[in-house]
Amino acid sequence: MEEKVSGSPACFIDKPVIPGDVVLDLSDMTNQTIKLGGGLRQDFDSIVAMKAGTLRFTKPNKYWVETSQKRYVPCVGDSVLGIVADSRADNFLVDIKGPTLAYLPVLAFEGGTRRNIPKFEVGTLLYVRVVKANPGMNPELSCTDASGKAAEYGVLKDGYNFDCSTGLSRMLLRSPRCPVLEELGKKISFEIAVGLNGRVWLNAGSPSLIIVVSNAIMNSESLTGVKQRIMVDKLIQNLKLSS
Amino acid sequence: MEIDRVDGRTPNQLRPLACSRSVLNRAHGSASWTQGDTKVLAAVYGPKAGTKKNENPEKACIEVIWKPKTGQSGKLEREYEMILKRTLQSICVLTLNPNTTTSVIVQVVNDDGALLPCAINAACAALVDAGAPLKHLAVAICCCLAESGYVILDPSKLEEQKMKAFAYLVFPNSLTLLQEGGSPVGGEPMEHGIITSVTQGAMSVDDYLHCLERGRAATAKMSAFLQKSLQPLLSDG
Repeated sequence: MEEKVSGSPACFIDKPVIPGDVVLDLSDMTNQTIKLGGGLRQDFDSIVAMKAGTLRFTKPNKYWVETSQKRYVPCVGDSVLGIVADSRADNFLVDIKGPTLAYLPVLAFEGGTRRNIPKFEVGTLLYVRVVKANPGMNPELSCTDASGKAAEYGVLKDGYNFDCSTGLSRMLLRSPRCPVLEELGKKISFEIAVGLNGRVWLNAGSPSLIIVVSNAIMNSESLTGVKQRIMVDKLIQNLKLSS
Repeated sequence: MEIDRVDGRTPNQLRPLACSRSVLNRAHGSASWTQGDTKVLAAVYGPKAGTKKNENPEKACIEVIWKPKTGQSGKLEREYEMILKRTLQSICVLTLNPNTTTSVIVQVVNDDGALLPCAINAACAALVDAGAPLKHLAVAICCCLAESGYVILDPSKLEEQKMKAFAYLVFPNSLTLLQEGGSPVGGEPMEHGIITSVTQGAMSVDDYLHCLERGRAATAKMSAFLQKSLQPLLSDG
């Protein structure tokens, strides 16, 4: 019995799970305080996966299922890229690829007062943070960090924006830095903003460079680290030949 | 078991299965499911804001649209839509995204018997692909009762027409629980559950129970297949 206690959680970690898999059994765990992340739910004494993905675990007690999907479900604390869809007296309505449009209060900017309300046209791309995400309510965004500073949040001017899966955007944000960005960064200088909602914004010296970088990122989704490096190397060689 | 099947299968033998995920570019999740010559394509869009009229806004709503291979959708398609909707409602966690609608669109590519079970399997795979929260997976199978009292599984269109009665049965994916969970969940083992049962024609209680038993045995193979076909996309994530 003692073996099962130590053995049962470990055997699922970093393994693919599908909905209905019993990941953990609380009844035979000594320490029953665990933190559940996305994709898991408690059913009596067992923790069951409800999404297909890879089970992750960090010490001491956090479990979650890492998934990749085309649709984003807002979650508090996520940094996302949103597109202004409408502006009202008190709020901007922002599309963050969620089920509903998100509200961005006009005062949620650094030093925001009634006097200096920012003006965004419909279609403006913003880098924002999700501050409220309750079921049944429109999510709320903010353009400041927790201490009220602008901290890189705000409008993204120029550049190019494309959609990807949430899995790819998480891969790009992963630390240590993902191989494709590292390799590209050695040869090409570019700016990038990655939203957890599966939107990526890019800016580089010339439009052709932007296209190269964006294609490299989009192609890297299904490749392993080594293959990503090879792909980027080839791309850069081609780039040098053509220029 | 001296029943002859047109394609030379044994009564318990299923037609070859095939499943591919993420076949459509624009849908949030999609899957195609093939059983022999029956092929169904399912696409999932959503969750979208708001629920339809007469639906509980405190829960997520599932909308099913059945597209027949040719022609307009009639009474039969409406019935299939309803069965599929009820089945999917019971496997989804509806309380997580209240006041949203998830659309499941089922396109029949080719019908060669056992159409509804095939569609249920396709829809289930598409929901997994879309990342919808599910309690567990569902595997569907068609059991037929021949005039002579034999039960055959996964009939083709030709066989379906000759049969006295048939039952569409949907089970939770028992395999994962059998292998990995082991312990019964909530007092009764999950693999004894049944999600949906649709019967047509007259059959005795004993025959029905026989169908259940055979169907359940066969779904173990199918859930193994479903599990396997859901894996490869995940590992590279």
